[in-house]
Amino acid sequence: MANNLLSLPQRWSAQQQRRIAFAALILVEVLLLVFIGTQLFQVQAVEDYRQTVGDTEIVHFRNEIVGDPPLLVLIAIGLGLPLASKRLRREPVLLVTLQAAILGLVVFVLWPLAQVFVEGFKAGQEAAGFSLIQFEKLLAMPMVARASRNTLLIGAITATLSTLVGTLIAYTLTLTDVPWKRWLRILTILPLVSPPFAVSFAIILLFGRRGLITYDLLHITQYNIYGPQGIVFVQLVSEIPLAALILSAVFASISRDLEEAAEDLGGRPLYVLRTVTFPLVTPAILTAALLNFISSISDFGNPMLIGGGYQMLAPQAFIQLIELFDLQLGAALAMLLVIPALAAFLLQHWITSRRSYVTVTSGARTGHIRPLPGWIKWSLFSLCIFMAILNVLLYGSIFVGAAVKTWGFDFTPTLRNIYGLGSALPMLKNSLIVSVGSGVLGGVIGIMLAWLVARQKFPGRGALDFSATVMYAIPGTVVGIGYIIAFNAAPYFWTGTFLIIIVAYAFRRLPVGLRTSIAAQKQIDPVLEEASLDLGASRLRTFTRITFPLLSRAFFAGVIYIFIRSMTDLSAAVFLNSGRTQLFTVRMFRVMITGTPSEAAAFAALLIVIILIALAILGKVTGKSFVDLFRI
Amino acid sequence: MSEVFSTASIRLENLSKHFDLVKAVDEVSLEVEAGTLVCLLGPSGCGKTTTLRMIAGFEEPTMGRVFIGTDDVTNVPPYARPTAMVFQSYALFPHMSIQDNIAYGLRARRTPRAEIKTRVQDAVALMELQGHEKKSPPQLSGGQQQRVALARALVIRPKVLLFDEPLSNLDAQLRVRMRSEIRALQRQLGITSVYVTHDQEEAFSIGDQVAIMNKGKLIQLGRPRDLYRQPADRFVAEFVGVSNIVPVEVLESNANGATVRVLGQTIRSRRPPQDPQGQVSIVLRPEALIIEKAGQTEVPARVLTMAFTGPIARYTVAADDDTVLTVDLPNPSPDQFFSEGTAVSLQLPPEVPALLG
Ligand SMILES: Nc1ncnc2c1ncn2[C@@H]1O[C@H](COP(=O)(O)OP(=O)(O)O)[C@@H](O)[C@H]1O
Ligand SMILES: [Mg+2]
Repeated sequence: MANNLLSLPQRWSAQQQRRIAFAALILVEVLLLVFIGTQLFQVQAVEDYRQTVGDTEIVHFRNEIVGDPPLLVLIAIGLGLPLASKRLRREPVLLVTLQAAILGLVVFVLWPLAQVFVEGFKAGQEAAGFSLIQFEKLLAMPMVARASRNTLLIGAITATLSTLVGTLIAYTLTLTDVPWKRWLRILTILPLVSPPFAVSFAIILLFGRRGLITYDLLHITQYNIYGPQGIVFVQLVSEIPLAALILSAVFASISRDLEEAAEDLGGRPLYVLRTVTFPLVTPAILTAALLNFISSISDFGNPMLIGGGYQMLAPQAFIQLIELFDLQLGAALAMLLVIPALAAFLLQHWITSRRSYVTVTSGARTGHIRPLPGWIKWSLFSLCIFMAILNVLLYGSIFVGAAVKTWGFDFTPTLRNIYGLGSALPMLKNSLIVSVGSGVLGGVIGIMLAWLVARQKFPGRGALDFSATVMYAIPGTVVGIGYIIAFNAAPYFWTGTFLIIIVAYAFRRLPVGLRTSIAAQKQIDPVLEEASLDLGASRLRTFTRITFPLLSRAFFAGVIYIFIRSMTDLSAAVFLNSGRTQLFTVRMFRVMITGTPSEAAAFAALLIVIILIALAILGKVTGKSFVDLFRI
Repeated sequence: MSEVFSTASIRLENLSKHFDLVKAVDEVSLEVEAGTLVCLLGPSGCGKTTTLRMIAGFEEPTMGRVFIGTDDVTNVPPYARPTAMVFQSYALFPHMSIQDNIAYGLRARRTPRAEIKTRVQDAVALMELQGHEKKSPPQLSGGQQQRVALARALVIRPKVLLFDEPLSNLDAQLRVRMRSEIRALQRQLGITSVYVTHDQEEAFSIGDQVAIMNKGKLIQLGRPRDLYRQPADRFVAEFVGVSNIVPVEVLESNANGATVRVLGQTIRSRRPPQDPQGQVSIVLRPEALIIEKAGQTEVPARVLTMAFTGPIARYTVAADDDTVLTVDLPNPSPDQFFSEGTAVSLQLPPEVPALLG
């Protein structure tokens, strides 16, 4: 009988076999959908009515089904859509990969984001239907208008200044012959490797009320770093590096021939700068400015630490939600934050898709040294030196601060603060679990999506790419709120587990991992894959034996990037972690607010050391330096 | 367009360029007559590009001077020199339309708007680029981009046109067509040009004169036919074509010529060797040798390989003293195909233009 069964398919034609395999696939998917359904819905006993019989009160319960029917519908549509394409039905591996990608993006990107909007348009916790009442409330609050204005203002100032300084630094370190370029290149982008709010903290150590420079060195007592000036200062320090990186890549890729052709045709140096060099880097400058704008308005930790009560949207949304428990108002505030971020992101997307002149012609001579008048060159050099020294001071103060009794008061060396970290070891373990998990998960998803986006043709590819990248524009606060609304209220098995944080981080940091993988994917000659398919290897085998090995460096770079960003995240962490899953950064943030500066410095120092170790591993495994890692 | 070109000669005097320890260009002196095209030919890395870039003003000479016409331009910056260069990469500005690319040099010179318009139109017409004015460079084919680069250079009416391997990004067929177009245009406009290439055939077909460079030095300057017939040294002889260079015994040498003995034959040279006492060699061009059935003439040989390319059959043969020679047999008839190992005999030319050594 078994024999008979096994030989059965051979009597069928190839087409029949394919049909049967396809039917089996559909069956599995329907079962999967049913399983997901059972997870999305749960029968819960709710109190129905109470009855008092004599002395005893009897509580009557009734069974009620709680869950998210719209999500199930969305999942069903997401799984079903690819089936509409005849091409995809013929390619089961492609089909299943695509379905998995859609499933992931629908559930973990689009659904939580949509929840923010749904919640913002609700009248109250239990109310159903559409209402503008939250926005009426927002309009009535003077805080909201102020916070919105402040957020946009700080965003604009930071974006402009950081891009300007970043551009100058990039120009100096790629196209002029100033000394110590190698070291300056590393030191000027140092802030990329730390949690953003560690910069705030270090600046308070140096320039705060008992700051080393302001108080001990200059004996200034009335200067106040807390406030908008502090926020801008901190954001500049942390965002100049990104602008410098983006612009360095572009400056280095400008072909020498173009500028020489211009000069040869009669253009004087400044005319060439204005008509050729500058227009060629404009798209990159705009990109850097928009990305820095997004990152500035999303910033949560720095305004909290150094804002001195200056109101901005991201911290206000947190306060509404976590401290005042007003989910709907918090969501509405989050929407206000998403709108400019998303607009900036769309604009950036449009600019890069339309104008990108960074074409690498083979044999083109690039990155040559421009002769510059001495005073310009040395001014630029001084700027780089200034940034490098500032960064060294900031990071130095963290490590020194961790090693002394009480920064600002008592500078006797001690190991007390290091021992003090002992109590935070469980949180460190939590953070490591979460970050390694999200790194690996994000890396795998990134490589899978990159394969789909860069190599395969199917309808809706652009939409898939966009959904996978849109998280870049979403402030961590909003991601946190979205996940809370979407997954914490419903009776899901993962509420309060590491899993939810891992998934959130993986999808949140996916965009950069995805870009790296796509870039790597595009560098692999498709002929290699075709040769493998031609030699009779299946798609799956081709991917595991040919494509993946060639992509592994990009994969590890993606993993490490997501790991680092997860280790240092605060804005989403404050929403997502629970008592059992408290994360290191959250604890560190609390210590920065309540503990002594030196205790907090020990936390920051430990985090920086962990990141440096991760970067060292990256260097060993892939030969990439951290400069490569943060390129977009 | 042609009537408005005022062209000028180029003179390089002991021009040198050193990069740290590398002597990229070493004491090159060269004169390009007004209206002619000189090719700089030599292997990769011999300093051709560096020489050209010193004429354009992109590299500052370590020593020596550059003259355009009677003006010493050695210290003049590139934008003030009357030169225009066509780059190997074309260097078309990717953020400008074709039209704006062509107008670039005129705008940089603040030419009046109306004049820019007519001159750009003229250049577009001259290079047959009509209909492409509004496109952006990547939308054009390689050949069209090449034309835009030329139009952009010509529109500023330079006194001197410089080319740095302008055809190396084109496929073989287009390369041949573009080079005759460039040649025709240069003749028509009568504009002094320097053209860098490492391709001997290209240099010979396009240059009035060819300057052969090696290791930063100018080895020989001359008309293509003179270089071919009377190479100054072994390097030139090998570089300008497949050559059999065979040591000879000098029988007699005076101002009118020399008589030498090679492979048992006596051959006359119209030019005596520089040092008759030293090592003297003869250049036997493959097409100047005749291969025949064995026994008919005095130089017996044996066929090592044969390659038939269509117009010729190319043999390598070994003479009795194991001298290996390449012999080209044009338009071979069926009985002139000799298989490997066959004994044949060779006929050497009675007279050669020059000797090496
Ligand atoms: N900017 C430079 N710096 C250092 N060496 C250079 C530079 N430009 C050219 N060279 C060297 O000078 C020599 C001649 O180069 P080039 O003129 O480009 O040769 P060609 O064009 O004949 O191939 C080469 O050895 C090259 O490596
Ligand atoms: Mg060259």
